[in-house]
Amino acid sequence: MSNSIFSQVKPTNNSNKREWLFSIQSVIVVGLLAFTTLAFFFYNGLPVIKGIKVVFAPFLSVVPLLFILSILRDLRKGFIEGDYSKKEIIKFCMITIAITIAFTGITNLLAQIGALEILLAAIMAILSIVFFIKSKIKDILGMSIITGIAEGIIVYMIFLF
Amino acid sequence: MQLKRINKAFVVTIGISVVLFVYLVFLGYNEIKTAKDVIKIIASILFPLPMLFFARFILIEHFLPENTDEYKKQNQKPATLLLVITMIVALLTMQGVEWLTQVKLEDHLIFAHLVNSTTISSYVLNFIIYNNLRFNGILSGILLSLAIHVFFLSI
Repeated sequence: MSNSIFSQVKPTNNSNKREWLFSIQSVIVVGLLAFTTLAFFFYNGLPVIKGIKVVFAPFLSVVPLLFILSILRDLRKGFIEGDYSKKEIIKFCMITIAITIAFTGITNLLAQIGALEILLAAIMAILSIVFFIKSKIKDILGMSIITGIAEGIIVYMIFLF
Repeated sequence: MQLKRINKAFVVTIGISVVLFVYLVFLGYNEIKTAKDVIKIIASILFPLPMLFFARFILIEHFLPENTDEYKKQNQKPATLLLVITMIVALLTMQGVEWLTQVKLEDHLIFAHLVNSTTISSYVLNFIIYNNLRFNGILSGILLSLAIHVFFLSI
Protein backbone atom coordinates (compact mmCIF):
# COMPACT_ATOMS: atom_id res chain seq x y z
CA MET A 1 0.00 0.00 0.00
CA SER A 2 2.66 2.47 1.05
CA ASN A 3 4.78 1.33 -1.84
CA SER A 4 2.16 2.27 -4.41
CA ILE A 5 1.81 5.74 -2.93
CA PHE A 6 5.55 6.10 -2.92
CA SER A 7 5.98 5.11 -6.54
CA GLN A 8 3.60 7.85 -7.61
CA VAL A 9 5.76 10.47 -5.95
CA LYS A 10 9.15 9.08 -6.90
CA PRO A 11 10.24 8.38 -10.47
CA THR A 12 10.09 4.73 -11.38
CA ASN A 13 12.39 3.99 -14.29
CA ASN A 14 16.08 4.66 -14.46
CA SER A 15 16.15 7.58 -16.87
CA ASN A 16 13.52 9.36 -14.77
CA LYS A 17 15.59 8.69 -11.67
CA ARG A 18 18.63 10.14 -13.41
CA GLU A 19 16.66 13.22 -14.41
CA TRP A 20 15.53 13.61 -10.82
CA LEU A 21 19.11 13.38 -9.51
CA PHE A 22 20.22 15.85 -12.19
CA SER A 23 17.57 18.34 -11.06
CA ILE A 24 18.61 18.00 -7.43
CA GLN A 25 22.23 18.51 -8.38
CA SER A 26 21.39 21.72 -10.24
CA VAL A 27 19.41 22.97 -7.25
CA ILE A 28 22.50 22.32 -5.10
CA VAL A 29 24.66 24.28 -7.54
CA VAL A 30 22.26 27.22 -7.53
CA GLY A 31 22.26 27.16 -3.72
CA LEU A 32 26.05 27.07 -3.65
CA LEU A 33 26.28 30.03 -6.02
CA ALA A 34 23.92 32.04 -3.81
CA PHE A 35 26.02 30.98 -0.80
CA THR A 36 29.19 32.16 -2.60
CA THR A 37 27.66 35.55 -3.37
CA LEU A 38 26.56 36.06 0.24
CA ALA A 39 29.90 34.86 1.61
CA PHE A 40 31.96 37.18 -0.59
CA PHE A 41 29.54 40.06 -0.11
CA PHE A 42 29.54 39.95 3.68
CA TYR A 43 33.09 38.84 4.25
CA ASN A 44 34.80 41.19 1.82
CA GLY A 45 32.35 44.01 2.53
CA LEU A 46 31.80 44.76 -1.14
CA PRO A 47 30.65 48.31 -1.90
CA VAL A 48 28.12 49.25 -4.53
CA ILE A 49 29.88 51.71 -6.78
CA LYS A 50 27.15 52.41 -9.29
CA GLY A 51 23.62 51.44 -8.29
CA ILE A 52 22.27 51.44 -11.83
CA LYS A 53 24.72 48.68 -12.76
CA VAL A 54 23.24 46.36 -10.11
CA VAL A 55 19.87 46.58 -11.81
CA PHE A 56 21.26 45.80 -15.23
CA ALA A 57 23.80 43.13 -14.20
CA PRO A 58 21.42 40.16 -14.68
CA PHE A 59 20.37 41.25 -18.19
CA LEU A 60 23.90 40.79 -19.50
CA SER A 61 23.60 37.02 -19.32
CA VAL A 62 19.88 36.32 -18.91
CA VAL A 63 18.85 37.91 -22.21
CA PRO A 64 21.31 35.89 -24.36
CA LEU A 65 20.34 32.77 -22.39
CA LEU A 66 16.64 33.17 -23.09
CA PHE A 67 17.36 33.84 -26.74
CA ILE A 68 19.59 30.79 -27.11
CA LEU A 69 17.15 28.57 -25.23
CA SER A 70 14.34 29.63 -27.52
CA ILE A 71 16.13 28.96 -30.82
CA LEU A 72 18.23 25.89 -29.97
CA ARG A 73 17.06 22.32 -30.06
CA ASP A 74 18.13 19.79 -27.42
CA LEU A 75 21.79 18.97 -27.82
CA ARG A 76 21.68 15.55 -26.23
CA LYS A 77 19.35 12.63 -26.41
CA GLY A 78 18.60 12.54 -22.71
CA PHE A 79 19.25 10.08 -19.96
CA ILE A 80 19.90 6.48 -20.81
CA GLU A 81 18.07 3.63 -19.18
CA GLY A 82 20.90 1.16 -18.68
CA ASP A 83 24.35 1.26 -17.12
CA TYR A 84 27.38 3.18 -18.29
CA SER A 85 30.45 1.29 -19.38
CA LYS A 86 33.64 1.38 -17.35
CA LYS A 87 35.39 3.48 -20.00
CA GLU A 88 32.62 6.09 -19.97
CA ILE A 89 32.63 6.23 -16.17
CA ILE A 90 36.38 6.87 -16.08
CA LYS A 91 36.12 9.47 -18.84
CA PHE A 92 33.36 11.43 -17.13
CA CYS A 93 35.03 11.23 -13.72
CA MET A 94 38.10 12.77 -15.36
CA ILE A 95 35.94 15.54 -16.85
CA THR A 96 34.42 16.16 -13.42
CA ILE A 97 37.86 16.43 -11.79
CA ALA A 98 39.10 18.79 -14.53
CA ILE A 99 36.06 21.05 -14.13
CA THR A 100 36.48 20.96 -10.34
CA ILE A 101 40.02 22.26 -10.71
CA ALA A 102 38.94 24.87 -13.27
CA PHE A 103 36.14 26.09 -11.05
CA THR A 104 38.37 26.33 -8.01
CA GLY A 105 40.36 28.80 -10.10
CA ILE A 106 37.28 30.63 -11.31
CA THR A 107 35.98 31.02 -7.74
CA ASN A 108 39.40 32.35 -6.84
CA LEU A 109 38.96 34.97 -9.56
CA LEU A 110 35.50 35.80 -8.21
CA ALA A 111 37.07 36.44 -4.80
CA GLN A 112 39.30 39.13 -6.33
CA ILE A 113 36.30 41.15 -7.51
CA GLY A 114 35.98 44.42 -5.63
CA ALA A 115 32.45 45.62 -6.37
CA LEU A 116 29.06 44.04 -5.85
CA GLU A 117 27.68 44.77 -9.31
CA ILE A 118 30.56 42.98 -11.06
CA LEU A 119 30.24 40.00 -8.72
CA LEU A 120 26.50 39.84 -9.41
CA ALA A 121 27.08 39.93 -13.16
CA ALA A 122 29.67 37.13 -12.91
CA ILE A 123 27.45 34.95 -10.73
CA MET A 124 24.49 35.52 -13.06
CA ALA A 125 26.64 34.46 -16.00
CA ILE A 126 27.56 31.20 -14.23
CA LEU A 127 23.91 30.67 -13.26
CA SER A 128 22.90 31.10 -16.88
CA ILE A 129 25.44 28.47 -17.91
CA VAL A 130 23.97 26.13 -15.29
CA PHE A 131 20.43 26.71 -16.57
CA PHE A 132 21.60 26.17 -20.13
CA ILE A 133 23.15 22.83 -19.18
CA LYS A 134 20.09 21.94 -17.14
CA SER A 135 17.70 22.46 -20.02
CA LYS A 136 19.75 21.53 -23.11
CA ILE A 137 22.52 19.12 -22.14
CA LYS A 138 20.50 16.50 -20.32
CA ASP A 139 23.13 13.85 -20.21
CA ILE A 140 25.95 12.43 -18.14
CA LEU A 141 28.12 15.22 -19.60
CA GLY A 142 25.80 17.84 -18.13
CA MET A 143 25.82 16.00 -14.81
CA SER A 144 29.61 15.91 -14.68
CA ILE A 145 29.89 19.61 -15.53
CA ILE A 146 27.38 20.56 -12.83
CA THR A 147 29.06 18.30 -10.27
CA GLY A 148 32.41 19.84 -11.18
CA ILE A 149 31.07 23.37 -10.65
CA ALA A 150 29.65 22.44 -7.24
CA GLU A 151 32.80 20.68 -6.06
CA GLY A 152 35.02 23.50 -7.35
CA ILE A 153 33.16 26.09 -5.28
CA ILE A 154 33.26 23.86 -2.19
CA VAL A 155 36.97 23.07 -2.56
CA TYR A 156 37.75 26.76 -2.84
CA MET A 157 35.68 27.56 0.25
CA ILE A 158 37.35 24.85 2.31
CA PHE A 159 40.97 25.23 1.40
CA LEU A 160 41.60 28.66 -0.11
CA PHE A 161 39.01 31.07 1.30
CA MET B 1 10.15 -2.23 2.17
CA GLN B 2 13.55 -1.50 0.65
CA LEU B 3 12.63 2.09 -0.23
CA LYS B 4 11.26 2.66 3.24
CA ARG B 5 14.55 1.56 4.76
CA ILE B 6 16.48 3.85 2.42
CA ASN B 7 14.33 6.79 3.43
CA LYS B 8 14.91 5.99 7.07
CA ALA B 9 18.66 5.85 6.52
CA PHE B 10 18.64 9.23 4.81
CA VAL B 11 16.67 10.85 7.62
CA VAL B 12 18.88 9.31 10.30
CA THR B 13 22.06 10.42 8.52
CA ILE B 14 20.87 13.96 8.03
CA GLY B 15 19.79 14.05 11.67
CA ILE B 16 23.22 12.89 12.86
CA SER B 17 25.01 15.44 10.67
CA VAL B 18 22.83 18.28 11.90
CA VAL B 19 23.30 17.34 15.55
CA LEU B 20 27.08 17.02 15.12
CA PHE B 21 27.20 20.30 13.24
CA VAL B 22 25.24 22.20 15.89
CA TYR B 23 27.27 20.64 18.67
CA LEU B 24 30.65 21.39 17.12
CA VAL B 25 29.85 24.85 15.90
CA PHE B 26 27.91 26.33 18.76
CA LEU B 27 28.79 24.35 21.87
CA GLY B 28 31.99 22.40 21.49
CA TYR B 29 34.66 24.78 20.31
CA ASN B 30 35.42 28.36 20.94
CA GLU B 31 37.98 28.63 18.16
CA ILE B 32 35.21 29.52 15.76
CA LYS B 33 35.40 33.25 15.87
CA THR B 34 34.79 34.66 12.45
CA ALA B 35 32.18 34.14 9.78
CA LYS B 36 34.97 32.66 7.66
CA ASP B 37 35.26 29.61 9.93
CA VAL B 38 31.53 29.00 9.73
CA ILE B 39 31.63 29.25 5.92
CA LYS B 40 34.48 26.76 5.80
CA ILE B 41 32.66 24.33 8.05
CA ILE B 42 29.44 24.58 6.02
CA ALA B 43 31.48 23.97 2.86
CA SER B 44 33.20 20.92 4.33
CA ILE B 45 29.87 19.48 5.38
CA LEU B 46 28.45 20.04 1.90
CA PHE B 47 31.55 18.59 0.24
CA PRO B 48 30.36 14.99 -0.26
CA LEU B 49 26.83 15.84 -1.39
CA PRO B 50 27.45 16.55 -5.10
CA MET B 51 29.75 13.54 -5.29
CA LEU B 52 27.09 11.39 -3.69
CA PHE B 53 24.54 12.46 -6.28
CA PHE B 54 27.05 11.96 -9.10
CA ALA B 55 27.87 8.45 -7.91
CA ARG B 56 24.18 7.66 -7.59
CA PHE B 57 23.64 9.01 -11.10
CA ILE B 58 26.22 6.65 -12.59
CA LEU B 59 25.41 3.63 -10.46
CA ILE B 60 21.71 3.78 -11.02
CA GLU B 61 20.99 0.07 -10.75
CA HIS B 62 20.48 -1.46 -7.36
CA PHE B 63 23.11 -4.04 -6.62
CA LEU B 64 21.54 -4.93 -3.33
CA PRO B 65 22.57 -8.37 -2.21
CA GLU B 66 19.75 -10.07 -0.36
CA ASN B 67 20.27 -9.22 3.26
CA THR B 68 19.62 -12.78 4.33
CA ASP B 69 20.72 -14.44 7.53
CA GLU B 70 23.21 -16.48 5.54
CA TYR B 71 24.82 -13.41 4.00
CA LYS B 72 25.07 -11.79 7.41
CA LYS B 73 26.52 -14.90 8.99
CA GLN B 74 29.06 -15.26 6.23
CA ASN B 75 30.30 -11.69 6.59
CA GLN B 76 30.09 -11.25 10.35
CA LYS B 77 33.65 -12.22 11.11
CA PRO B 78 35.50 -10.36 8.34
CA ALA B 79 33.38 -7.26 8.91
CA THR B 80 34.11 -7.18 12.64
CA LEU B 81 37.78 -7.81 11.99
CA LEU B 82 37.89 -4.95 9.48
CA LEU B 83 36.11 -2.68 11.98
CA VAL B 84 38.73 -3.31 14.66
CA ILE B 85 41.69 -3.08 12.27
CA THR B 86 40.46 0.15 10.66
CA MET B 87 39.78 1.68 14.05
CA ILE B 88 43.28 0.92 15.34
CA VAL B 89 44.99 1.99 12.10
CA ALA B 90 43.03 5.24 11.88
CA LEU B 91 43.66 6.07 15.54
CA LEU B 92 47.38 5.38 15.18
CA THR B 93 47.53 7.44 11.99
CA MET B 94 45.83 10.41 13.61
CA GLN B 95 48.03 10.22 16.69
CA GLY B 96 51.11 9.83 14.49
CA VAL B 97 50.24 12.80 12.32
CA GLU B 98 49.52 14.94 15.40
CA TRP B 99 52.81 13.87 16.96
CA LEU B 100 54.82 14.43 13.80
CA THR B 101 53.42 17.83 12.88
CA GLN B 102 52.74 19.00 16.45
CA VAL B 103 49.38 20.27 15.27
CA LYS B 104 46.14 19.38 17.01
CA LEU B 105 43.18 18.16 15.04
CA GLU B 106 40.98 20.54 16.99
CA ASP B 107 42.87 23.48 15.52
CA HIS B 108 41.97 22.23 12.07
CA LEU B 109 38.35 21.36 12.58
CA ILE B 110 37.75 21.54 8.85
CA PHE B 111 39.55 18.25 8.34
CA ALA B 112 37.55 16.54 11.07
CA HIS B 113 34.34 17.74 9.43
CA LEU B 114 35.57 16.70 6.01
CA VAL B 115 36.40 13.16 7.11
CA ASN B 116 33.21 12.96 9.14
CA SER B 117 30.78 14.10 6.47
CA THR B 118 32.47 12.16 3.68
CA THR B 119 32.39 8.97 5.72
CA ILE B 120 28.77 9.43 6.71
CA SER B 121 27.79 10.01 3.11
CA SER B 122 29.64 6.94 1.87
CA TYR B 123 27.91 5.08 4.66
CA VAL B 124 24.52 6.02 3.28
CA LEU B 125 25.62 5.31 -0.28
CA ASN B 126 26.86 1.88 0.76
CA PHE B 127 23.62 1.25 2.56
CA ILE B 128 21.54 2.21 -0.45
CA ILE B 129 23.42 0.60 -3.29
CA TYR B 130 25.77 -2.10 -2.17
CA ASN B 131 24.82 -3.16 1.34
CA ASN B 132 28.37 -4.45 1.55
CA LEU B 133 28.97 -5.52 5.14
CA ARG B 134 32.77 -5.46 4.92
CA PHE B 135 32.80 -1.92 3.59
CA ASN B 136 30.36 -1.08 6.36
CA GLY B 137 32.96 -2.35 8.85
CA ILE B 138 35.68 -0.09 7.42
CA LEU B 139 33.47 3.02 7.44
CA SER B 140 32.25 2.31 10.96
CA GLY B 141 35.90 1.95 12.01
CA ILE B 142 36.82 5.37 10.62
CA LEU B 143 33.85 7.08 12.26
CA LEU B 144 34.46 5.38 15.60
CA SER B 145 38.15 6.24 15.64
CA LEU B 146 37.39 9.87 14.82
CA ALA B 147 34.89 9.99 17.68
CA ILE B 148 37.30 8.30 20.12
CA HIS B 149 40.09 10.62 19.07
CA VAL B 150 38.04 13.76 19.55
CA PHE B 151 36.30 12.74 22.76
CA PHE B 152 38.96 10.83 24.70
CA LEU B 153 42.46 11.22 23.35
CA SER B 154 42.72 14.97 22.90
CA ILE B 155 42.67 17.12 25.98
